[in-house]
Amino acid sequence: MDALVVLIPLLPFTAAVVLGVSQLFGILKGEASENTTALLAMWALCMASLLALVLAGADALGYNHGVLTLGSWLDSEGFAISANFTTTGLPVRLAALFALLLVIVMRFAINYLHREAGFHRFFFLLSLFAAGMLLLVLSGNAVGSFFGWEIAGLCSYGLIAYAYNRPVAASNATRVFITNRIGDTGFILGIALSAIFADSLNWQQINTADLTTGQATGIALSFSVAAFAKSAQLPFTPWLARAMEGPTPSSAVFYGAVMVHAGVFLVCVLAPVFEQAPLAMAVLVIVGGLTALYSFIVGLTQTDVKSALSFATTGQLGLMFLACGLGFWQWASWHVCAHAVVRGYLMLTAPSLMHNVLDNPIKPIHPKIASLRWAYIASLQRFWLDPFTDWTLIRPIRRLAHDLSYFDDHVIDPFMGATAPMLSRLSSYAQLEEHLVGAQLNDENLFAKGTGLAGKLTEWTAALMHWFEDRFVLRGIGKDALHFGRKLGHVANQFEQLILRPRYLVLFVFITLLVAF
Amino acid sequence: MIESTFPLLSLTIVLPLLGALATGLATNNRLAKYIALWVAVAELLLTLSAWWLFKPEDGNRFQLVEQRAWIPSLNMEYLVGIDGISVLFLPMTALLTVLAIAASWTSVQHLHRLHFALLLALEGITIGVFCALDTMLFFLFWELTLPPIFFLIGLWGIGTLRRTAAMKYTLFMLFGGVPLLFAFVLLAINHATEVNGALPQNLSFSLPVLLATPVSEHLQTVVFVLLLLGFAVKAPLIPFHTWLPTATMEGPTQITALLIGLKLGIYGIVRFTLPLAPSAAVGFSWILGILGAVTLVYGGLIALQQSNLRRLLAYASISHVGLVIIGIASLTVQGIQGAIFQLFNFSVIASSLMLIAGFIHQRLASTEAVHLGGLAKVMPRLSTFYFLFMLASIGVPGTNGFPAELLLIFGALSAHPGLGLTALAGAVLSAAYMLSYTRRAFWGPITQTAVSQSQDLRPRELALLCIPALLVLWFGFFPNTALSVNQVAAEAWLSRLLEPPQMPNNDVVGLWQGH
Repeated sequence: MDALVVLIPLLPFTAAVVLGVSQLFGILKGEASENTTALLAMWALCMASLLALVLAGADALGYNHGVLTLGSWLDSEGFAISANFTTTGLPVRLAALFALLLVIVMRFAINYLHREAGFHRFFFLLSLFAAGMLLLVLSGNAVGSFFGWEIAGLCSYGLIAYAYNRPVAASNATRVFITNRIGDTGFILGIALSAIFADSLNWQQINTADLTTGQATGIALSFSVAAFAKSAQLPFTPWLARAMEGPTPSSAVFYGAVMVHAGVFLVCVLAPVFEQAPLAMAVLVIVGGLTALYSFIVGLTQTDVKSALSFATTGQLGLMFLACGLGFWQWASWHVCAHAVVRGYLMLTAPSLMHNVLDNPIKPIHPKIASLRWAYIASLQRFWLDPFTDWTLIRPIRRLAHDLSYFDDHVIDPFMGATAPMLSRLSSYAQLEEHLVGAQLNDENLFAKGTGLAGKLTEWTAALMHWFEDRFVLRGIGKDALHFGRKLGHVANQFEQLILRPRYLVLFVFITLLVAF
Repeated sequence: MIESTFPLLSLTIVLPLLGALATGLATNNRLAKYIALWVAVAELLLTLSAWWLFKPEDGNRFQLVEQRAWIPSLNMEYLVGIDGISVLFLPMTALLTVLAIAASWTSVQHLHRLHFALLLALEGITIGVFCALDTMLFFLFWELTLPPIFFLIGLWGIGTLRRTAAMKYTLFMLFGGVPLLFAFVLLAINHATEVNGALPQNLSFSLPVLLATPVSEHLQTVVFVLLLLGFAVKAPLIPFHTWLPTATMEGPTQITALLIGLKLGIYGIVRFTLPLAPSAAVGFSWILGILGAVTLVYGGLIALQQSNLRRLLAYASISHVGLVIIGIASLTVQGIQGAIFQLFNFSVIASSLMLIAGFIHQRLASTEAVHLGGLAKVMPRLSTFYFLFMLASIGVPGTNGFPAELLLIFGALSAHPGLGLTALAGAVLSAAYMLSYTRRAFWGPITQTAVSQSQDLRPRELALLCIPALLVLWFGFFPNTALSVNQVAAEAWLSRLLEPPQMPNNDVVGLWQGH
């Protein structure tokens, strides 16, 4: 039964490839071929979910061996990554559940997106996402999971920007992807550390490797950064609210039912490593607990249903991390399953919620809490997390980029690349005429004109001596020198101010740390 | 060395040069174009056959070697050959030339014959650079790349300052050539001294001989610095990079695609700088690493500030060079294999993006973000390809950028954790600059009327972009097909550096004093 596992991500992937290529070459377009697209995507996903159910059943009956290895994916002296899949335990059960949820959401989307301009694009991205997500869950090694992890993130990017002609959608998508990219570096760091410390990238070997507490903490913390980013835990939480820009079915499947749980799944898969690292467990407890609290408070003031759902989701995910951190792995994995089902349903019904709650008003919150004005402001502003990130991270980097760009154009370029003889040639007709009548109004010190390095050096020395003689010796130390001194002081002050800006201080601290490391 | 009976490599060098001659002498422009295209395709097949004949398991030895006397009085030889490090660059150069010729099919408006002839000549010379195993022959090819590029940028450039850009490029490269020549001569003299021979009979310029010749510590330092300086200009590393943004802004896009695609500078560092000065290389690897880290972050940050696609690509390419240098400086098999793989990827990704920039420029006469906006709506096909290559440049799994970046980062982390962390920061930066340009140019509402009237990719352009797109996906899903080619070579390269075949140090000093 193990061999079935390959087909589970492969079927939706094939569907995605077929859909993508036929859209590129204009075979599938417009309303007429909506049926073909839907049928293809649906069929592939249904087969995948059937296979996933069969696999889960076989696992329950004990027919599976645990790991299926296809061959080597990448090989570089001691750094070998094979293409392998897990066929027992939590991954298989989750794959079956996720596949089923994906089928439901896709069926919902066929009607929901009827006659939308991006119908075909949506189904391409959803099929690709299904492939990525199933690969993430089923892969037997960290790199395979990262493959799925990134493909899922990429599809999320594409679907947040579904209505890409709206500037808000485009900028939210970009921001979400870059936030997730920070988590991805944690994942890559985790991969590298596992390869160095545990000598393997297979989940099974990482979990059973002989690690010291420090090594386990390093691996666990790296992967938990990735998990926090994907599951929108603090300090990454704000991205989830931004991601609600996409169409409802994609919100349901990405941010309700399936993708946000990837972080918790990652932590659960690495449970044995986390158990060796008390610090990482503590971090899980703290971050999970804080996020749950944060999401509860912020959720109280949300006025639109999708934002409220997004904060409810992060709150529940926070509780899952809390459970993981306390060592209740089984509980956390059940929580994942239950939450996936419930949240998927809530997200899908969100557009029709207004009809359902018509005679059923929202319960007001407790008057004691309601009277806390500062809490209201803080909750409404979502604790200023986004402005804070802007202020501490994005703006300094932008400014640094701006300064460097200026430095590149105005300091390095003239210093390195002055093609002086060529550039100072006569460039206009007016100059040529001047030259012919011998006026040469623009050339100040034609007397000493050098070419080549030696000539230029001589010329500059001569000019400097001339200037010195002219300004200081002939005219004496007069007002001019004072002016010059003052100017010099001003420039020095400016330079010092620039250097003392926090971004440079932080940069120096970083550089020092990196060098010391 | 494995000699070959059939002069295949000479043929790959000479065929484009003859093709250039034929193109130049063709009676009409149409004929010239077809001659150029067919010669380029034939050249591609020849280079592929060279790859076919190449035996990866003997990748540490030079293969298909041809050796003839060239200037016997100075012991200079015509010595060409390939090993696991250089073999992939030949088909890549040929492929890029085919793409460049196809991309300039209609965009070149004047002096057609000269343009295509120069392109072919550049191809032949570049392949010569990758094959040459005699330092002087290498230097000859190296400097010969300048005239075609000078004219290609200066005559067919798309910016108003194209002449200045061509001049700037040439002056930079000439400056870079001086330390190279100096270092090669120093090594040749050192060989004569080591064998207690006389000048000029015992000079040696042949790379395999020089690799076997011991070099004293302080001479190694000098040679290392000189070679690094020379190749840093071409690579380019900070602060010698300023020619690249100018060239990409002013030059014709198909030529800048070649310029940022073919990383001759880093090839030089891998082929000559480190192996010829092994103990200096090991000693100074931290300098190389820091240089790479600075280049990576510096290029990335400036790219964040760019609003023009061509300039952005120039800085992105500088930033990627930094990453590759970090990988080389890690002195691990993963780092070096990742570096070679990434060089190969550059050729595909950066040049394809540059070609796409060229297609946009042909339609809208600008690649400035304010003149674009909403391109995805009117040019879905072009946008699809742009997205694929952009993602590859960020290093998203499924594209060839990912395995290379993974190897580089792993190599760097296992050697110098600080450099590894910098490389990770570079990965975030690369997503930031690519995506923020994408947002401004490809997404959002259409604001310019010119954009709303522009045409999507034509079939010729579509077919042209399909080839690199398939390569990107193929090597993304099956990286071992590329890595197995240079596995043996990379291991041998590294073991040479870490255990140099050298007589004990005092013997060398003794020899020096005894002379």
